[in-house]
Amino acid sequence: MKHASLVLLIGLASLGLSACGSESQEPVEQIVIREPGAEAPAAQNVTAAESGDLVAAGKAAFAVCSACHSVEPGAASGIGPNLNGVVGRAAGSLDSFGYSGAMTGSDVSWDADELDAFLANPSAKVPGTTMVAGAVTDADKRAAIIAYLSSLSQ
Amino acid sequence: MSEGADTKPPRSKAAKWTRRGFIGAGALAGGALIVGVAVRSGNPVGKLKPIVAGGEGEALVNSWVKIGADNLVTAIVPHCEMGQGANSTIAQMLADEMDVNWENVRVMDAPADGNYVSQHAARLFVGPGTLPDKPNAVSFMEPTYDGLFTQVAKLASAYITGGSSSVRSTGQNGMRIAGAAAREMLVAAAAQEWGVPAAEITTENATLTHAKSGKSALYSAMAAPASEQDLPRAPKIKDISEFKLMGTPAPRKDIPVKVDGTAMFGIDGGPDGSDLRYAAIKACPVVGSQVASIETSAAQAMGGVLQILNMGDFVAVIADSYWQAQQALGAIETTYTKTEIDDLDSAQMFANFASALDEAGDAGGNSKADYGDAAGAFADAANKVEAEYQVPYLAHATMEPMNCTAWVRDGKCDIWTGTQVPLMSRDGAAEGAGLDADDVTMHSVFLGGGFGRRLTPEYTNQAARLAKAAGYPIKMIWSREEDTAQDFYRPADISRFTGGLDAEGKVVCWNNVHCTEDEPAEAPLVEFYDIANVSVRTSEVEHPLRIGAWRSVAHSQHGFFVESFVDELAHAAGKDPFEFRRSLLANSPRHLKVLEGVAKMANWGGALPEGHGRGIAIVRSFNSIVAEIAEVDMTGDKPRVTKVFCCVDAGFAMNPDGLKAQMESGIIYGLSAAMHNEITIKNGAVEQSNFHDYHMMRMDDAPEIAVEIINGAPNNLGGAGEPGLPPAAPALANAVFAATGKRIRSLPIAKHFS
Repeated sequence: MKHASLVLLIGLASLGLSACGSESQEPVEQIVIREPGAEAPAAQNVTAAESGDLVAAGKAAFAVCSACHSVEPGAASGIGPNLNGVVGRAAGSLDSFGYSGAMTGSDVSWDADELDAFLANPSAKVPGTTMVAGAVTDADKRAAIIAYLSSLSQ
Repeated sequence: MSEGADTKPPRSKAAKWTRRGFIGAGALAGGALIVGVAVRSGNPVGKLKPIVAGGEGEALVNSWVKIGADNLVTAIVPHCEMGQGANSTIAQMLADEMDVNWENVRVMDAPADGNYVSQHAARLFVGPGTLPDKPNAVSFMEPTYDGLFTQVAKLASAYITGGSSSVRSTGQNGMRIAGAAAREMLVAAAAQEWGVPAAEITTENATLTHAKSGKSALYSAMAAPASEQDLPRAPKIKDISEFKLMGTPAPRKDIPVKVDGTAMFGIDGGPDGSDLRYAAIKACPVVGSQVASIETSAAQAMGGVLQILNMGDFVAVIADSYWQAQQALGAIETTYTKTEIDDLDSAQMFANFASALDEAGDAGGNSKADYGDAAGAFADAANKVEAEYQVPYLAHATMEPMNCTAWVRDGKCDIWTGTQVPLMSRDGAAEGAGLDADDVTMHSVFLGGGFGRRLTPEYTNQAARLAKAAGYPIKMIWSREEDTAQDFYRPADISRFTGGLDAEGKVVCWNNVHCTEDEPAEAPLVEFYDIANVSVRTSEVEHPLRIGAWRSVAHSQHGFFVESFVDELAHAAGKDPFEFRRSLLANSPRHLKVLEGVAKMANWGGALPEGHGRGIAIVRSFNSIVAEIAEVDMTGDKPRVTKVFCCVDAGFAMNPDGLKAQMESGIIYGLSAAMHNEITIKNGAVEQSNFHDYHMMRMDDAPEIAVEIINGAPNNLGGAGEPGLPPAAPALANAVFAATGKRIRSLPIAKHFS
């Protein structure tokens, strides 16, 4: 849905004439972009996905994940394991990281579908995982994050 | 007017009916007794007086007491809770007069609209009559019951929290009398019901007892018949020997909600539901300018943005969240109209102030005190001392940033905000919303700090204008940068002194001129010091910033000026600063006791480590006398205040714990400013923006503080919220001098050691 910005110009005459005070009660200029609850105009809500750059969108969405997860090749794991190359690898398989028993015993191999399910609800997918934060409820965002993680595997 | 002792006020059936009608209409539970007192107060609220009392020259306060069916007594207090705890102390005074145990007492803020403060309610409740002008508190009762409803309309604007006035004015002249009146009406009702003499009935723990017959009743059981009793003409308030709760550290009633987090502050307020949106604003940086243009293309494309508004005097963004609104606001490029002060900076401003003082010279300007012959005595003085002091503008920096939630719809406006002047703020909102004041509802909330900042209605006006334009509820929150740059500041000032000493080192004259008209007017006066020839004058200057009331108002600068100069005179006379003040205070016995009290606390004259110094200062403000001694450690690269001793005589400490806390708080606030703070001007605008360049004292900087209380005048109460502050800066500066010989004549002190 496209919204043209609605620009209302009211009472420009008062400009510069009155002191900083309460004389101009009404707005001199009121730019209404949208009403509360209305869908945001396309211009501000264009996702990178729609513009074809799913990986870039995923990288942006991953920002919160990076609090715990590193992604550079060979970088030390943080609170969570390094996720470089995670797509395609077996769950709980990074030697340098101390996984939960739940994760190492999960028998999951991280493909796009498995990652999608895990990110949607980590504790449901791998009961007992120590990844207690980080559920991503927005399916588009999950897809983007997975595309980004896939891009790191090369 | 009739003041005959036996003449009861006329009470028609209609008056009785309407009184009960008021009770019913006041949303009070059935069977409740409510007693209200509206009195004149001798409290000078100064600059606020026109707002408070509309030119009558008298402030009005009101107090209401409710006894519920549950035997709980509610004090309905026309003051705001901003951390000072005064409402709880006022309730303590009520409870004591009523003989109610503290557990049975509740405190409620008077609503800023409706029955408690409207002329209508006052007319219904108070009844017709006149207002005799009596000087003593108990006599104020007569006008209450004789009625003063035409005056009581002004109660509306008396709903103010400032001037360190709550306890000494509302508590002393209102709540104690309301409590005593309620008790007497309950006793009268019981006497009638039981057919026994009222004098034989005793009261304790909200219970009436007639020992001879063995009858007893809870207050709640007598509430309804009590409301039918004649109003006592002059209820007897307790003598100090009868106090049970007054003078004790009864626990504050607002502590539990502040500990468990359920306390509602202004910024927590707002309507239920999901339509609430957030506004960030930026006002014109230079006073007098207007928004000339806004460039908004970047901001329009930013997430969450709903509206961008040029309000003429400020720019606002409304968004789904505060963060989004503030980010988009920062992306707007704004130009402003030119003003005459666009090139002004602080140095030029102080130069302008100095020119005004030059013009006043040693006899010109507006005279504030003039006795003896200051000029003649100075000419003959054996030892002449001159000094010039300077202080900067100061911001309030309340912990809770300025904010206001407004909802304008269907010809009504709802406001949630922390304010020291709910009714003035209501009027500001009404103007902004284009409605009558009666159509505005103020929702009562705690203030996250006031200090005088929340005495202005401009922020409710802003929020109402935005909410009206938007059509949905708006929570407007100022950034800390906006708060720092758009305050109503403690005035900057320059103060010049000449003083003369005779051959024995006695002060023979005192001549002072400074820039700003003072509020309160007594702030620069020195009549308690034994000086025969005194001239105090002001010169007129224009302030490039908005100025306002900052904790202790003009006492904050004059405490520093006066007590620094007294110290300079002492040293010029070759005398010990404490002994020098003692000799000057020979005719002011209360001052003298306080001064000697603090000297004893601090072991004045005792040895201190190398590089340490002690400074002393004494200031009377808001009818309380406070002396402080600061100890400073000058061995580091900047001064460090290690200890502050404080002796206070506030007449009588209704709650000593509360008084002590206010002294400590005033000292910390005063030291923060004295040590670190100034608001400076560049290109007409404020330069400071946030806590990195406007420091508040932190735990590791804070001194040890000891407070002792003298109850020097139980029938002449002083304030608590402000008087701890004024002596702090001069005590510190005098301590720096004692340690180093370096005289600090301009604040902040840190600037001299950077």
